[in-house]
Amino acid sequence: MEPTISWLIGAAERGDGVAADTLFSALYAELHRLAKRELARHGTPPSLSATTLLHEAYLDMAARDGPSFPDRARFMGYTARVMRGLIIDHARERHAHKRGGLFEITSLDTEAEENAVDHRELAQISEALDELGRVEPALAEVVDLKFFCGFSFAEIAAMRDVSERTVQRNWEKARIYLHRKIRADLAL
Amino acid sequence: MSTLSPDQWQTLSPYLDQALALTDDERAAWLASLGEQNSALAAQLRALLDEHRVLAQEGFLEEGPTALPSTPGLAGQTIGPYTLISQIGQGGMGTVWLVQRSDGRFQRKAAVKLLSVGLARGVAERFRREGAILGRLSHPHIAELLDAGVTTAGQPYLILEYVDGLPIHSYCDQHNLDVNARCRLFLDVLSAVAHAHANLIVHRDIKPSNVFVNRGGQVKLLDFGIAKLLEGAGSDGSATLLTHEAGSALTPEFAAPEQIRGGLVTTATDVYALGVLLYLLLAGQHPAGPGPHSAAGLVKAIMETEPPRVSEVAGRTGAKASPTPDRGATRERLRRQLRGDLDTIVAKAIKKEPQERYASVTALADDLRRYLRHEPISARPDTISYRVGKFARRNRLAVVLTAFALMAIVAGTAGTLIQARTAREQRDFAFRQLTRAEAINDLDNFILTDAAPSGKPLRLNELLERAERLVRREHDLTDVNHIQLLVSIGRKYQSQDQDASALRVLEEAYKLSRNVTDRSTRALAACALGNAASGSGDPKRAQALIREGFQELPNESQFVLDRIFCLECGSRVSDDAGEPSDAVARALTAEQLVEGSPVRSDVLQADTLMGLAQAYRSAGQFGQADGTFERASETLARLGRDDTQQAGTLFNNWGLMRYHSGRILEAERALRRAIEISQENPAEGGVSPQLLNNYAATLIDLDRFDEAGNYANRAFAEAQKAGDEILIVQTLLMRARVYRGQHDLAHSDAMLALAEPRMRKSLPAGHYAFASLVSERSLNAVAEGDIPEGMRLAGEAVAIAETSIKNGHAGAILMPTLLVRRSNVELAAHRTQDAVSDAERAVSLLQASAVPGTFSSATGHAYLALAKALAAESKTDEARAAARSAAEQLQNAIGPDHTDTQRARQLAG
Repeated sequence: MEPTISWLIGAAERGDGVAADTLFSALYAELHRLAKRELARHGTPPSLSATTLLHEAYLDMAARDGPSFPDRARFMGYTARVMRGLIIDHARERHAHKRGGLFEITSLDTEAEENAVDHRELAQISEALDELGRVEPALAEVVDLKFFCGFSFAEIAAMRDVSERTVQRNWEKARIYLHRKIRADLAL
Repeated sequence: MSTLSPDQWQTLSPYLDQALALTDDERAAWLASLGEQNSALAAQLRALLDEHRVLAQEGFLEEGPTALPSTPGLAGQTIGPYTLISQIGQGGMGTVWLVQRSDGRFQRKAAVKLLSVGLARGVAERFRREGAILGRLSHPHIAELLDAGVTTAGQPYLILEYVDGLPIHSYCDQHNLDVNARCRLFLDVLSAVAHAHANLIVHRDIKPSNVFVNRGGQVKLLDFGIAKLLEGAGSDGSATLLTHEAGSALTPEFAAPEQIRGGLVTTATDVYALGVLLYLLLAGQHPAGPGPHSAAGLVKAIMETEPPRVSEVAGRTGAKASPTPDRGATRERLRRQLRGDLDTIVAKAIKKEPQERYASVTALADDLRRYLRHEPISARPDTISYRVGKFARRNRLAVVLTAFALMAIVAGTAGTLIQARTAREQRDFAFRQLTRAEAINDLDNFILTDAAPSGKPLRLNELLERAERLVRREHDLTDVNHIQLLVSIGRKYQSQDQDASALRVLEEAYKLSRNVTDRSTRALAACALGNAASGSGDPKRAQALIREGFQELPNESQFVLDRIFCLECGSRVSDDAGEPSDAVARALTAEQLVEGSPVRSDVLQADTLMGLAQAYRSAGQFGQADGTFERASETLARLGRDDTQQAGTLFNNWGLMRYHSGRILEAERALRRAIEISQENPAEGGVSPQLLNNYAATLIDLDRFDEAGNYANRAFAEAQKAGDEILIVQTLLMRARVYRGQHDLAHSDAMLALAEPRMRKSLPAGHYAFASLVSERSLNAVAEGDIPEGMRLAGEAVAIAETSIKNGHAGAILMPTLLVRRSNVELAAHRTQDAVSDAERAVSLLQASAVPGTFSSATGHAYLALAKALAAESKTDEARAAARSAAEQLQNAIGPDHTDTQRARQLAG
């Protein structure tokens, strides 16, 4: 029998590295499946956001795993990190697709595309985030939730039951750290 | 620029926290003073903070990656007459946009919520329609729902009044409001919720982010009824994201215990959430403590933990924000201000049991106003409300089938019923049932908690009268809820044996129900009135009303509970009308419907089982009756209701059934238990006269005439008070039997003379009760020495019963006794052969219906009559054998010391 998400989270928290990896891939597969389901259900949904996807994922998995399922804040903490992976992979894929089909012509891109962060930059941010995660995991999580998953400060504050101001401060600190790290890497 | 090592970061991190909390000016001063102590550290921090300023200006990482299929730029698009201007919010539910009317009719700004769910086909129309209902909710403190609909692309949207302001707790803190100002602001919130409740709309999701105060200082409640509007809106019919989010899964902070349990959501649920909000405003923190809370921790706190009093928590460090004490006041003074009435008010609003909370939002508001005016409040500290709660639980027993059946639908099985084929109709049906259940529940709450002010329970009848007045005042007369409430009150009167009041209220409900089209309401009103009419001696009308009720009800699953109700009423009506086989058939059908129905519950089952046992009893099927009573009593014990009024009714009926099967000693025990239960429940309005009369009957059979006389007299007096004609007749016959046992034949005859005209008026000609009357006369005639008259009357009594049985009516139950009595007269008239043959006939009838393994006084008396007749015929051996059988039966049924038992023994030799 496959281990449940609840069990995997428990094991990962007790420091089981294999469980942590399995958890990551299980959540990844789950988010991927849900994203596809949402697309199939709505065609081009007007507002399929990462946030919506995470809510859906939580409800889906919590319903499946039953009462032992971790609370929403803990779940979001783990899954936001997975979502980051999903988004970066998606960006990379799209880039690859464009390169093949459109000879890397990017000038025709929409406004949204121009504003989008380049997938290489995303990968750098991700790397820096992993490092921050080792130093101050709570800060890294705020970035995952805000930047990658689109939660507002208010939502994150409610999730963690702290003030919005605290979340914002965490975010500003994290941003300084990440910027430092990325600039240093580029300088190398 | 170098990267920071983990160690460096650990050192800098707490300083960054401090620095980022400051304004630019403050920060400069702070850095300067830090520089004096540790210049290296200050320099590092200065560099980081400079970088921060640049990053903020650049908006570094502000724009999220758009790798997922994302929202196309919606600005400028139109929805109906509205043009989207800019996005002002985003959350799990979807996005919120500021919109402006594009047709120029109003300049007013509005907000549109674009919901990120798809809607099932066919649901869109309902969504629009119910949105329109919510839109009619107009109140200065409710943000108006301007429109609800579905875009051509299939996306549901809600157009709401645009509220520019702050959540109420932030507003209070930002304006440094003191306790009284907070209470006054909160009263506006209460008036908005009360208005919605009066329109039978429950908010279900009251929390600070739904209670705003706009720039003008006006309270505005958002998202009224939207939680419900979104229920079942999912495209696959299952619960959707929104349902969950609006329900309990994601934000349990303001969820009431019953919401977490998945129980019935009522106005009491809103009272709870309002109580938590008031707690938050006064104490500065959630009742579960300052947090942070995990969802699991919160659920545990909501379900199990008694929160500390507001006054204990207020002003505590760690509480985020709390009222500003009056100028110069200390924290102690703030706590003194909260201690007492405000503690009590908040505690009552957030009781875990819905029925222990304020009965309505208005009641909560009244207390809060009284507090502000320094008047005594109605809520009492816990000791007394505990007592009231206990009283409330007791009185719940008079179970109103309609009310609990409806609740069962709503609470547990909405899914099962609603998934059926005609989804929309069924859903609408459930929607109506819910509002009804809410209204009825509200009534129960009113009845039960209104006993609080004096601290001493009012009698249920007084409460019912008050409930009646309340319902009359508050409801639209043509409203189905109003009619349902009247039916509910009428049936409660009936359960209190207040038949005259029951009839009056049910007549009114029936009359009003003729003006509505709702089938359930029409059927319930007709059947309930039929039941009451039958009890007050109008069997023809009763039968007609029950038929009318059945005709209203199509044979569809959504009407199953109404059918059960009408079958139960119908079974009783048939029983009263002397149609026992119909009564059994109807009760059996009801029982089978309950067994097979998705709403099967112990409470419902106990009720139908009691009805079925009762019907079996009337039909003389004692074996089945005994077993069914047994099952009913086990069900009640399982529910913990074996000392309740319902159990009292059970023991009464069971005792009566044992009485009819000749198990007199067992009957006496059961009836005594029933009387004890009634006496232990003094709030129930005393012991039922029917029960007193039944108990008198068993005492007569045990030759305990003086005691029997007491009970029969009491029963008679109560029956007269209640104006119950049939019961008056029954008690008169009982008193006639007592007087005869006491050898007072003049009085006995007088009782019979009083009974006869009443019987002619209230019972159809040929009813088997007349056999009973005539038989009593026969016995009196014999006792007076007029054997020929006794003979004639004994014959007439048998003939009446025979005709009744031949016509398919009741009477079988009396037959053996009538035959035994005639046998005795025949013996006195020296017609020994006839005496033998009647006694033999009685014995064989009784053997046919005997319950194996039980002894019967009727069988004993039949054998005794046979023994005496055979002895008179000088058939000594046969007489002795019959006497031995008589002695065995009588010894067990009425005891070894009874004169009849001794006589049998004597004949047995």
